[in-house]
Amino acid sequence: MVSKTEETQLNRLENQVDNGGGGAWEYLCLVRKLKVRRSEKVLKHGLSILNDPKKRSALGPEEWTLYEQVAIAAMDCQCLDVAKDCIKVLQKKFPESKRVGRLEGMLLEAKGSWAEAEKAYSSLLEDNPLDQVIQKRRVAMAKAQGNISGAIECLNKYLEIFMADHDAWRELAEIYVSLQMYKQAAFCYEELILSQPTVPLYHLAYADVLYTLGGLENLQTAKKYYASTIDLTGGKNTRALLGICLCTSAIAQLSKGRNKEDKESPELQSLAATALEKDYKQRASDKLGLLTSALRSLKI
Amino acid sequence: MGLGFIIGVFGVLILSHAAYSTIQYRGLLKIMEEEFSGPPMNVVLELLLGFVFCIWAALTVPGKFLSIHPDSEENRIVSLSANLDFMIFNHRAKAFPLEIDMKLKH
Repeated sequence: MVSKTEETQLNRLENQVDNGGGGAWEYLCLVRKLKVRRSEKVLKHGLSILNDPKKRSALGPEEWTLYEQVAIAAMDCQCLDVAKDCIKVLQKKFPESKRVGRLEGMLLEAKGSWAEAEKAYSSLLEDNPLDQVIQKRRVAMAKAQGNISGAIECLNKYLEIFMADHDAWRELAEIYVSLQMYKQAAFCYEELILSQPTVPLYHLAYADVLYTLGGLENLQTAKKYYASTIDLTGGKNTRALLGICLCTSAIAQLSKGRNKEDKESPELQSLAATALEKDYKQRASDKLGLLTSALRSLKI
Repeated sequence: MGLGFIIGVFGVLILSHAAYSTIQYRGLLKIMEEEFSGPPMNVVLELLLGFVFCIWAALTVPGKFLSIHPDSEENRIVSLSANLDFMIFNHRAKAFPLEIDMKLKH
């Protein structure tokens, strides 16, 4: 999760580091803490720290964490030589470590030698069959090979054991959305909302899925979840505001012929529209015309 | 930290002094064989002063208040973390490898 203050801090540090202002280690720590994917920058700045013996020894035991971070970033950038060197150093320091074994497996994955990677992972799983990270790697490997149904099957099996793992639920939901299996995706997002009810982005994603599914009942639920997203973000989420407008017009279109038995909160849409107009005026005044014409076409 | 802490200690000292004065006052009343109806005015004032100091120190010394609103800047989640456990490597970096010729030197 990345909150607004953390995001601004990250952007500030990134700017500072890119312009040679120092603070590379703080930046790398923040990237690790927030779990964002900035492989190119991590590789560049991490390597410059690792290649400077003075800076490296100043880190103390954190040095090894940095080696791991740089190794993964290097694999992500396909700089396999660097990754290999980092893993070699770690291997020397921690022989027989599972975590290093996992890195070696990932290196095989990055090379594209799937069979060998699979062999490495299954030998690691033999020692500890409940290793969550390695089980997740197997799912990722199936996905990388294009075997989406295999990945889903594997992930479902994993989730039967580790039901509280919300990252895995999110991954499953995203896979289902990519396959346009919205009902299943909706189920996953329900799980996510149950486990972390204060994360507005899950509410938003659930509402998106329901809106895509369509149908009067789903649209009404989607509108409620867009409203809860607005509640949790204080109205600063543009997508949720637009979602409210779209849902209202879709509901109005669907229930046009029928008698309107439940005319619920007619002011919600106008409030959302005013909030949107205000937001656009403040941040992108040149696009205000587009917004007003879009909103006008929605109001029937 | 420094100022708040000193004021807190001062407040506790004032409170204990007020307690001591009350006990002394009761002892005096016993000798004079009068009923105890309440501490004298100056002790009450001392009590209130000590109380204010203690509260002020307790609010400032431990640290800043954090926001509990879900929509405040510190709590509002704007993006989810990349799902790094499920990271896969076949993306455009494979076709366009990064042009940095840095190596791990040892």
